[in-house]
Amino acid sequence: MVFHKGQMVRVLHRSSDESWEEYMDGLVGSRGIVTDPDTQINDPDSLIEVSLEDKGTYRLPQDCLEVLE
Amino acid sequence: MTPSPCPVHETMLALKKIPTEGRVVHPRSRRLIEEVATLIQDIVAGRAGAEHLPCIDARTAELCAFAGDPAGVETGLWLTARLAEHTEIFRSHALNRNCAASVCDHLTPAPCQMACPAGIDVPTYLSLIALGRDDEAIEVIRHDNPLPWVCGLVCTRPCELMCVRARIDTPVSIKFLKAFAAERAMSWSRYDNPHKTPATGRKVCVVGAGPGGLSAAYYLALHGHTVRVIEALPRAGGMILVGIPRYRLPSDIIDREVAKIEELGVEFQFNSRFGKDVDLESLRAEGFEAFFFAVGAHASFNLGIDGENDFPQVQGAVDLLQRVALGERRCPGKNVVVIGGGNVAIDAARTCLRLGSEQVTIAYRRTRKEMPADLEEVEQAEEEGVHFELLTVPMAVTGENGNVQALRCLKAKLVTVPGSNRQSPKPVDGSDYAIPADAIISAIGQRVEQRWFERMEGLAWTHRDTIRVNTITMETSLPGIFAAGDAVTGPATVIEAIGGGKRAATAIDRFLAGIPQPKLPPVPMRRQRVPCFDVPAHTKMALKRPEMPLLGIDRRRTTFQQVELGYTENQTREEARRCLRCDICRRCGKCVTICKEKMGVDALALGYLSFEHPEESDFRYTDERCISCGACAANCPTGAMCIEDRGSERILSLCGTILSRQPLVFCADCGAVIGTERYLAFIRGRLGPLAPPPQNGDGPKCDVCARKKGHHGDSTVMATP
Repeated sequence: MVFHKGQMVRVLHRSSDESWEEYMDGLVGSRGIVTDPDTQINDPDSLIEVSLEDKGTYRLPQDCLEVLE
Repeated sequence: MTPSPCPVHETMLALKKIPTEGRVVHPRSRRLIEEVATLIQDIVAGRAGAEHLPCIDARTAELCAFAGDPAGVETGLWLTARLAEHTEIFRSHALNRNCAASVCDHLTPAPCQMACPAGIDVPTYLSLIALGRDDEAIEVIRHDNPLPWVCGLVCTRPCELMCVRARIDTPVSIKFLKAFAAERAMSWSRYDNPHKTPATGRKVCVVGAGPGGLSAAYYLALHGHTVRVIEALPRAGGMILVGIPRYRLPSDIIDREVAKIEELGVEFQFNSRFGKDVDLESLRAEGFEAFFFAVGAHASFNLGIDGENDFPQVQGAVDLLQRVALGERRCPGKNVVVIGGGNVAIDAARTCLRLGSEQVTIAYRRTRKEMPADLEEVEQAEEEGVHFELLTVPMAVTGENGNVQALRCLKAKLVTVPGSNRQSPKPVDGSDYAIPADAIISAIGQRVEQRWFERMEGLAWTHRDTIRVNTITMETSLPGIFAAGDAVTGPATVIEAIGGGKRAATAIDRFLAGIPQPKLPPVPMRRQRVPCFDVPAHTKMALKRPEMPLLGIDRRRTTFQQVELGYTENQTREEARRCLRCDICRRCGKCVTICKEKMGVDALALGYLSFEHPEESDFRYTDERCISCGACAANCPTGAMCIEDRGSERILSLCGTILSRQPLVFCADCGAVIGTERYLAFIRGRLGPLAPPPQNGDGPKCDVCARKKGHHGDSTVMATP
């Protein structure tokens, strides 16, 4: 999946990526918008910036995200 | 979506129930519980001050210590445990005036503020800009971001992506409004630093003078610490200086904002590379107690193709941009090929045009749809004449006598690889061809230069070769050492680096003071609640986001002058008035439900209130149908929806947007306000046959006068015109 700026997404589940921290469990189920995908090389392994409704903006691994549109 | 539980709100509800349960009977305990409930009510309503939390702690301690009432002591212990468990959330409610769970009506943050990695109070500064109070707007911004002018020109604006106005037409142009206010405040010498706390005598070293380092230095200085910034380059700015071309961000703007940080007493040590000119031991010997690393990701990845290292005309985009930023103006070649599809590739291509290259081609291996660069940047590059070769896989650099002659490529097609949900480019056999070139620039990503950290044993790295941190505090695996910016996230955004630097500065301050670190990310702070100002509904709908005027195309192709010329003052004020004030309206939709389902009027076309499925919105629609009953305003939990009588009119407004304006009907006898014509007709309709017949000759009467008249023989059911 290539994420694009402005795409609506949901945090589907926790990620097994090392960048996932305990407090991020509270983000599972939140909806938001991709605000900064990997603007360099579209690397599926890179963290992407997602702004979640009422939760704030986080840089998350791509494997925990589901596109809503 | 079910709202997340808010511990503060839950505690208030639990305390309010205690007196009715009859379990706590002693008057002293009951008084203390009621006082704590009142104090928490203040917090929930956004009326609390800094003294509320200590006051709650003191009363809770008193409750626990009062041995005369075991039930009171039990409640006190429960309260103590709750306050301890949710300290950060109570603090964010009381001090930041924001409820991240969006449960407390008066503290629900605006989506734009929540989206900003630095947590800037966007609705407040937009309101101040709309009112022409630019210096106050900058003061608000600089509580959370020391570089408003820079961000006004280059921010990736996550706030605009979350802007609720976009559900109606287009998002408010938050970024450019910030740039206008910063420029105006600087020009009028009203761009001031916040007050510093007294000097603590503690020394902190910041490594890297990019946005993350500058942000950390600014907040550490405001905390009263002595700060020195170590920078490898001869000037401050980091990636915003050497990674962003001057046609997007003039260096004077960076210099002016850095100078304001320097005014706080921050010392800059340029041309000093950490790991080479200075190291941890030498800095510790100078008395530095904490360190913050924001060294960026300045090293380019290699292409890994034949001939890449055989010609001096093959270079990394970051190296090219850095040399140009520091003053070099040598044209890399007449016919340049840039490899990559990200923002850096676009910047390099547009820079080559300005250096005199006649033909600039971007070779990207996927299609335009997959191109990771910002759409606006791609469009501007195309306008300037940059050519795109898509579905192109570079294979080798060829040339003679040390000079590049061409980039050999294969055409590709996108195929779905089994086990992957994304399409990958697959070279097409026999499709090889050559793009003539005398210079090749590689822009396929950047990485952190780890070699300068070799002597920092124990510093943990991620598998992405970035510094591993706790993202709440930005602490690394080494005590007293913090990091943020691209060195932590990989190549990311300016505003993220600024937010990270601010977060780290707070954590460093706590580290130096020996205070435990927070367990949750910071919640943005509401700086003010600017009163709403009137904007007619038709104006609110008619105002459109202005187009940004651009420099003429010929000058864009030939010089490094700023491309985006900025809004005029009138455009700025008008654009700021498009803001929907989501800091006040929390979009709960109660007004719409009441109007439609309880009153059966359906006068509110506010489809934008839904995040996932926004429907049509039109503020003008209300004036056609509203009966001015006030049910929406009476049920609004935040006071966003208001109904009031002004002179001879009843006005319904939502955060200042005037939805309905109807003439009032006055009592013919005593002159009291009865309502509006539509409201009285609505009541007559509801009463049906019970409604009194129209009175001929007599004017409308209020209830009191109608009863008086009824006493003398007429109907007493209803006063109507």
